[in-house]
Amino acid sequence: MRTKLKPLIFVAVALIAFSAPTFLPVAACAAQAVEAAPQSDWQAEFDDICSKTQDAMAMGVDELKAVLDRCDKLKVKIEALEGTQRKVYLRRLEMCRGVFAFALESKEKK
Amino acid sequence: MKKLLFVVLALLVCTGVAFAQAGVKKKRPLPYEYGRVVINNYSEGAGLAPVVFDHWLHRGLYTCRLCHVDIGFAMKAGGTSIKAADNIAGYYCGACHNGKMVFAGKPVFASCAPKKFTGDEATRCERCHSLGLNPPRDYDFARFTDGFPRGRFGNNVDWEKAEEDGLIKLTDYIEGISIKRPTLTIQNDFNLSPKVEGMPDIIFSHKKHTIWNGCEVCHPEIFIGIKKGNTKYTMQDIFDGRYCGVCHGVVAFPLLDCQRCHSRPVQ
Repeated sequence: MRTKLKPLIFVAVALIAFSAPTFLPVAACAAQAVEAAPQSDWQAEFDDICSKTQDAMAMGVDELKAVLDRCDKLKVKIEALEGTQRKVYLRRLEMCRGVFAFALESKEKK
Repeated sequence: MKKLLFVVLALLVCTGVAFAQAGVKKKRPLPYEYGRVVINNYSEGAGLAPVVFDHWLHRGLYTCRLCHVDIGFAMKAGGTSIKAADNIAGYYCGACHNGKMVFAGKPVFASCAPKKFTGDEATRCERCHSLGLNPPRDYDFARFTDGFPRGRFGNNVDWEKAEEDGLIKLTDYIEGISIKRPTLTIQNDFNLSPKVEGMPDIIFSHKKHTIWNGCEVCHPEIFIGIKKGNTKYTMQDIFDGRYCGVCHGVVAFPLLDCQRCHSRPVQ
């Protein structure tokens, strides 16, 4: 029995050894995809900032100044992106920032 | 006396002709044409017909904010400078028109593709690149708006009432694009007094506007002034497409519908 199994084990090991170079990059890609799946830092920051526009008028002056500062820091990160993503998110950020700046001006003029 | 009368009449005729030549008579669009946008930044250069975008279909399904804030379309026709590559990458039209998003039980057709289609496939391009081609459409204006409350102008639909009555359910969120936001705190309505004596006041409803637009569509791009009355504008500015005229007269009910804004009776 053992003598019969030996060639089988050899074939299996050989198969694994040959197929490894093919599967390894695929596995690596899959791992990368899993890594890319969570939101990137800038996107999470973008979502957090821009989800607050609804409350802009209820925010205090200091809060608004802080969020405007976050917008400006985020803008630098988005400017480093490429192509359409950069164009779209710069525009979206500009709109969010505009609401906060609008609210701040409103509070400071009161 | 007769000579004088003749001179006066001649002058009147001449000034009339002069004014008529200076003015531009606009053709009032048909209900299904109202809100139509023709986009031709790159189309003809790429050998395609310009894109015809019908607002009536999209505004009956989605909020203005979804497209103009979350997806990032500019408020002016052609202002976004959309390229096929943008759509293919899943931005702008391609955010929904990607062949994967399912709407009303079927996938939303993909807007652009990396290769140029030929033969029967070319009809796919013509679904959007359709100026002068008049391709068959999935949605028919008359059928789509059948049973909606009637408006007097524009699309002849009172979209605001259609939304209030639940005849249209506006989507305001697309997974992967929109941001989850808390419910909007509604700002107070206010009235604006026109300068013309005897003209009814304008009641501006924040509630009605924010359902469709959120905050970002109007502030600060369209209405810069913070305090009520700080931004001075005239009806002429509005007719020229500024302030309220960015939407009203283009997509939202037109400016001929005076009473819908000037709604507070004169005291």
